[in-house]
Amino acid sequence: MIDARAKFERFARGEALTVEVGEIERELGSLWQQASQTSDSAVSRAVLWNLVVPTRGRATLPRIKALCDELAPAVPVRAIALCIDDQPSGQPLSATIESNVVSQPGGGRVVYSEEITLVGPPGAEAHFGAMVRALQVPGVRTATLWMDAAMPSSLLARELLPVTRRLIVDTASCGRPVELRELAALAAGALPRPLADLGWLRLGSFRLLFAGLFDPPVGGAPLRRASRLTVRYRHGGDVSALLAVAWLGLLLDWRPMRAAEGPDRGMRFDFERPGGDPIQAFLIPGEAACDRSAILSIELTSGRDEYVVTRTAVDQAEVRVPIAPPKTVKLDAASDAELCVAALGPRGRDPLFARCLAYAARLWSLEANAAGSLR
Amino acid sequence: MDAAAPPALPNPLREGLVEERIPEPAVMVIFGASGDLARRKLLPALYSLTRDRLLPSRFAVLGFGRHALEEDAFREEMRRGCEEFARRRPLDASVWAAFARNVFYQQGAYDDPAAFQRLKVRLDEIDHALGLPGNRVFYLSTPPSAFAPVIRSLGQAQLAPRPTPGRPFARVIIEKPFGVDLDTARALNRQVHEILDERQIYRIDHYLGKETVQNLLVFRFANGIFEPIWNNHFIDHVQITGSETVGVEGRGGYFEQAGSLRDMVQNHLLQVLSLAAMEPPVAFEADGVRDEKLKVLKALRQIAPADFDRQVVRAQYAAGSIAGRGVPAYRAEPGVDPRSTTETYVALKLFIDTWRWAGVPFYLRSGKRLPKRVTEIAIVFKEAPHLLFGKRTETIRPNVLSIRIQPDEGIALNFGSKLPGPAMEVAPVSMEFRYGSSFGVEPPEAYERLLLDCLLGDSTLFTRADEVEASWSWVSRIHQRWAEQTAAGDTTLPGYAAGSWGPQESDRMLAADGRAWRLP
Repeated sequence: MIDARAKFERFARGEALTVEVGEIERELGSLWQQASQTSDSAVSRAVLWNLVVPTRGRATLPRIKALCDELAPAVPVRAIALCIDDQPSGQPLSATIESNVVSQPGGGRVVYSEEITLVGPPGAEAHFGAMVRALQVPGVRTATLWMDAAMPSSLLARELLPVTRRLIVDTASCGRPVELRELAALAAGALPRPLADLGWLRLGSFRLLFAGLFDPPVGGAPLRRASRLTVRYRHGGDVSALLAVAWLGLLLDWRPMRAAEGPDRGMRFDFERPGGDPIQAFLIPGEAACDRSAILSIELTSGRDEYVVTRTAVDQAEVRVPIAPPKTVKLDAASDAELCVAALGPRGRDPLFARCLAYAARLWSLEANAAGSLR
Repeated sequence: MDAAAPPALPNPLREGLVEERIPEPAVMVIFGASGDLARRKLLPALYSLTRDRLLPSRFAVLGFGRHALEEDAFREEMRRGCEEFARRRPLDASVWAAFARNVFYQQGAYDDPAAFQRLKVRLDEIDHALGLPGNRVFYLSTPPSAFAPVIRSLGQAQLAPRPTPGRPFARVIIEKPFGVDLDTARALNRQVHEILDERQIYRIDHYLGKETVQNLLVFRFANGIFEPIWNNHFIDHVQITGSETVGVEGRGGYFEQAGSLRDMVQNHLLQVLSLAAMEPPVAFEADGVRDEKLKVLKALRQIAPADFDRQVVRAQYAAGSIAGRGVPAYRAEPGVDPRSTTETYVALKLFIDTWRWAGVPFYLRSGKRLPKRVTEIAIVFKEAPHLLFGKRTETIRPNVLSIRIQPDEGIALNFGSKLPGPAMEVAPVSMEFRYGSSFGVEPPEAYERLLLDCLLGDSTLFTRADEVEASWSWVSRIHQRWAEQTAAGDTTLPGYAAGSWGPQESDRMLAADGRAWRLP
């Protein structure tokens, strides 16, 4: 969890600025000076990432701001929020700035984060790339947090990708699996940049627990003999369930053969294992207490044995393998800010995700063709 | 579990997980489990690793101690320890419950073959109940006198077979001090090697598990700008400080035998020194790193008798004040001889006879009851060859790169900067990187890293037999010289007030070279 003990002081400029890079930097500098004046010790500045967050509508800004505030104590960033105003007032592009100063337990203070919010009318996105290039802290990597799947993809492709060193998406924002395919196409365009997904990171706890079932002494043999996979998920979590199946299918080299409607309005996929034996995967929606990962259980049948991770509470799961008694374990439920911290760290460089995303998109194409319609 | 069972197939689902390096299921047996280290460090570290999912899901801890203790009482004691000392606090009830279910305790004497037979039976039972493959880590958190008997007993009970591919592993972690001089270290190495292969032995020095100590290698060898100036052309001298505010804390009996040179310098400070001074290893793997550290230890110049008093200072604390309260003199501490000549402070000037370090003095100091608890390495660079700023040059100080190992782990670089204004005034400024600030997370405890490394079979951050002997070889000559001085009737021992930075003799040692100790 992000350390909540840190005490925030917020320094903001009163009104919006005209968008002139020199003025923005000067004002940020004066906020830094202002913070130093209220402190006995020097306030230093730390920046590990430039974090660009495109968004639509002023109503989304408080959420972005809350995310940056929560992020700041864990990863010092210069956040640059780019907002396309959905209710244009005829105002040109404008900027607001803020800095968050966090008191350290030892007494020292650090300017952890600076937030620059640029708001402009529709069409302003054409200027965003240049603004980001000018406002990036030099020598510091830039990540783009692409959380709104409905933002114009040209903004990302044309303006932001050239300055982006890491792209962070959220597959959970795909309301329908068809959007997953669009996101997969967008992500493919971002390669070879590291691609992180908050949805994939939400699956992390479950993947880790399920993978742990096949550590020695069990080993990978039951996975090679698997004949049936069942993923139960909360209604609306189709994308998450699809990613879970894609993860297993990809790593175990299962070849997707066909798709059909499954039980309880779920999905069924038929695969061929290496060697030609069949394996069926069932994705079954249901209702139960769950976090945003939406996964309720993953069950794998291998011969007569079952390997199961079942959520028993929002933050708890039971793991079952044939050779040992069942065990209750903790499931981590992370906030979006905590997931962003992970995405900016080593977990955000997981090349497996891009491959799983492409595999999941393929699965969805199979399903769509079988059903004749896209969900 | 059948120990000869074929090895499990690799787990393909580990690919891409950050927790890719999950150790194999195992039981960790802690000898001396009712002691302070288990309660304050070991169990809290294992709990935090469990909380972070870095331990295998099937893992057990078996405490072994001389005291009779009910298993539930042991668990309760360990729970209190974790509540107080674990990095991941407050304890998560469900994680603790799952962890504690696999915490066991057994009473026994360290040299009792029957107790070790019972231990073997118990371990087999645990393996069977939890589906474990028979892997063992034995942690010797006992008094040093018990190291050899425990290892002998493990051998007799066939609990620590030498490594064989495809068979369960048995590894032994040995706490410091490893010997009290060169002869005893050699003897202990011989005894240990009678039972164990060197690859099974993990001599722990918890300083090496600290994030900044590891970062020292990253800092030096992953950044292009430092290594070219990391030599006698640019560095004037190096200071390594390991200071403590505490006194002997009820361990007067132990400290009387040890003294600061054995307690801190032979292990912690020389290990830190070897990392700071070593050549780049060919690879970041156990023997690559340890080979280079060993070369540094072997290159330490022996201090000539004629230079001894100019290069070695020892002292003992007198009464004084720490953190606003009065504290007694060392000789007034419980368990300490009122006429003791044991040093509680030692300062050394030493040289490393290599091309890189020719002529660069390394000043080491360590002491108890100093004003601040701090461990740091300070690399003091040479001054600019020509100073342009006339009388303002008095404010220009040499650049110092200080690497803080504890507390507030981080790195700071000091340099001179012009003060704003019409005058050409120069003031020192500091550019600081702190782990807690820059990464927003406190680094893991040293024991977490080291226990995990041992479970993974990675001995890079543990000390090898030849390193221990090389450091003792250098340190023992100082002890020998002190013994000769004492035999010759020279028993003078400078004093320093508790709460001061040490004796004047130590300051004079640096002043004679035109230098001064940093105030960390």
